[in-house]
Amino acid sequence: MLHAIFRPPVNWRHRRFRYGLVVWRCLNCGAVHQYATRICRRCRSNRVAEDRLPDRARLVTLTVVKNPPVSFEKQAPYIVGLVEFEDGTKMLTGITDCEPEELKPGMELERVVRKIAEDGESGLIVYGYKFRPVIKRR
Amino acid sequence: MRRVYAAGVGLLKVDERWEQSIDSMVTQVVDGLTEVRPWKIDSIYVANAVGEVLQSQANLGAIVAEDLGLVGVPAVRVEAGGASGAAALLAGYQAILSGLADTVLVIGVEKLSDATPEEAVFLPTLSERYDYVGFQGVTEAAIAAMMYRMYLERYELPQEMVAQFPVLMHEHASKAPHAQYQFKTTLENVLSSPIVSPPLRRLETTAPADGAAAILLCSSDALSTIQHEQVVELAGAASSTDVVFPMEREDPLKLNAAARAYYEALARPGISRDDVKVLEIHDSYSILASLILESIGYSELGASGLDVKKGIYDYGGKVVINSFGGLKARGHPLGATGVYQAVEIFLQLTGRAGACQVDGARYGAMVSLSGLGSSAYALIMKER
Amino acid sequence: MSKLSGISILGYGAYIPMFRIKAAEISRVWGLSESELPVVEKSVNSLDEDTATIAAEAASYAVARAGIDPSKIGAVYVGSESHPYAVKPTGTIVAEVLGVNSRLLSADLEFACKAGTEAMELVTGLVASGMIEYGLAIGADTAQGKPRDALEYTAASGGVAVVIGRSGEGAIADLEYASSYVTDTPDFWRRGHERYPMHGSRFTGAPAYFHHIISAVRMVQEDGYSLEEFDYAVFHQPNSKFPFAVAKMLGIPAKKVEPGVVVNVIGNTYAASSMMGLAKVLDQAKPGEKILMASYGSGAGSDVFIFRVKEGVLAKRNRAPLVSELIERKRYIDYALYLKARGKIRE
Repeated sequence: MLHAIFRPPVNWRHRRFRYGLVVWRCLNCGAVHQYATRICRRCRSNRVAEDRLPDRARLVTLTVVKNPPVSFEKQAPYIVGLVEFEDGTKMLTGITDCEPEELKPGMELERVVRKIAEDGESGLIVYGYKFRPVIKRR
Repeated sequence: MRRVYAAGVGLLKVDERWEQSIDSMVTQVVDGLTEVRPWKIDSIYVANAVGEVLQSQANLGAIVAEDLGLVGVPAVRVEAGGASGAAALLAGYQAILSGLADTVLVIGVEKLSDATPEEAVFLPTLSERYDYVGFQGVTEAAIAAMMYRMYLERYELPQEMVAQFPVLMHEHASKAPHAQYQFKTTLENVLSSPIVSPPLRRLETTAPADGAAAILLCSSDALSTIQHEQVVELAGAASSTDVVFPMEREDPLKLNAAARAYYEALARPGISRDDVKVLEIHDSYSILASLILESIGYSELGASGLDVKKGIYDYGGKVVINSFGGLKARGHPLGATGVYQAVEIFLQLTGRAGACQVDGARYGAMVSLSGLGSSAYALIMKER
Repeated sequence: MSKLSGISILGYGAYIPMFRIKAAEISRVWGLSESELPVVEKSVNSLDEDTATIAAEAASYAVARAGIDPSKIGAVYVGSESHPYAVKPTGTIVAEVLGVNSRLLSADLEFACKAGTEAMELVTGLVASGMIEYGLAIGADTAQGKPRDALEYTAASGGVAVVIGRSGEGAIADLEYASSYVTDTPDFWRRGHERYPMHGSRFTGAPAYFHHIISAVRMVQEDGYSLEEFDYAVFHQPNSKFPFAVAKMLGIPAKKVEPGVVVNVIGNTYAASSMMGLAKVLDQAKPGEKILMASYGSGAGSDVFIFRVKEGVLAKRNRAPLVSELIERKRYIDYALYLKARGKIRE
């Protein structure tokens, strides 16, 4: 079963959202879309413009995928969670470079780009955003 | 005013039916509708969620029409994820009410046993936005687990308040010959079963299942022309949608689509929820049982678990939920599940529920969801 | 003609994955004695990291330190011996992640452990010629070591990126000299479709590492520099002995080498190895100090550079994690988790 994202055109057309959280924001109500749209899905305004979400967000909740879907078998178990940006936008994300026990709701996380999955040894590699605990500075 | 009736039903035991294909399951379940022969069918709706993925088979309308020797009859496949069966029933209901059809055959069929375990995890996730959820390796179970955690935290409840739903479901299924899992279980078993995505445990979810169920719907006019043993009225049906990703809803713990669909369906015959004595709900995850019952008003917010403890949802209570075990224990053959729910209400209202019989029910209802409530369907059935 | 003027490092960034495996844990499995271990521990990328993600993370820190608009970057070159694709550039992935303009020169480089410094040479030339305003040179690797092979103890993961542009306010270090010395020396190689490299064992020493670095540094001397004038010497660091041994042969005191040595605690990050040393030196150097750097890549060659540290380093240093902070961010894994993280568990 082939993930759509392993198909070259699909992989390609979503790259800006996946790499940089480029989103489409409604200029009327502020709602964020993960895909290019002409109509706001929340208020139906047609004033929608490209925007980029910040590099940091706070953790809302999390869980662990222990039973992985196709193409994620080798990564299990892995953490997924919900983060909230300053503007209130919530985003589903993989969470990396930590154990579930280290994560507390409210904690600040930073965005990185990681390998999401690969289509075996010969197919495409999918990259995309994940969040991780902010690197400790002295 | 036209009325819609269910004049015959059929179902197969939910199971891993290794030897059967979609075609053979369809012919077997329709063969069970002996009492309504001979056939005169105006339209066929085939509910199926993932046939083109697992069996590489789309276009099930024409294929099933031919399987049944009904070439010439209009037929179409209906897909609405886990609510495909209910969506097909709604389509049949609308076709008859519109006057364009007098007899509609609704079939739900799904074969999930062909899936690898990883595919079985992935398939339900197809109901979420793939470009946002699926590509990240986030599963539907993981999102359900986050809703579950949020629920326990908000109402400050121990997990057993939710985890007792599967216990009740297995209790009910233990008397249901067509249920996938006819064993009883305990709260300890549920809470010590393997973790799928914390806090969600394996016994709070469903397993891959094959199943087929069928209902013959007809108008009041057609009722006099076909042979039938027992009849139930399909008194109301409705559907609604919600924000697809639960965490983007105003309140992720409120299933608004389910509430809207349910109250609209109740309004068709003009009854109240208290008139419903048999209720089939979409408990593909234990937490959904809680959220549905609270969203459609049977329990106060956060109190569904307490109500289970009080026996409100069991025999002798206010309303019996999932009298054959629900998605949890009867089984969840994805696209067929909604049709199973309707067939089970039919069996209850015609007194054919055997050891699962709920006495004195005049109305039965069902709530079916796709995804985690992004789409909801409700049907009300009435004893005739 | 190797002497340069008006070219500077405007930003640099390092990234080290957080997993570490102790050499003693590897030797627990394969039975080396403690005294034979070439390093204490090495960094290991996690399953969701590869050369592209490591390069992108290092590059994002380099751009943050440079404080430039990424759309003004005119070249992205990534040197590595572990590019995720055999054919399909790592550089375009990194550029897209950074939001670099598409009017861009980009290619992947391969020259064993000097592919990253080769990228620096190329970008320097492009800036000097005026073809581009800023360029990113990146060395990044998730180096492969065959189980039980000597390389398994050191083959590590990490990346370093530098933004090179015209000198001016905010320069971190002026690039005063850049050259290279190469010969056809088969000390280490990996054929196409092979998972792990092969090497000439002790042949990687005298005729390879030492000959090329010493020859490169001799060119610097021939061009009029005295080794005494350098405050720091950074060499490729495949293990904890070689950089000190080559310094000794050149008559450079160990204390000038010490500040840039990280191999003991993160292993050999291959294309990032000498650049990691440079990053660590820039994390601590004072304006006015001079740095000699000589990389080494098998096959074989050595790129040699001279930097003069500038005032800009003081303000920019703390805009991104220091190498020492990345070294401290670590989680130990055992050999089993190491095999999983490195995708060495095969069905």
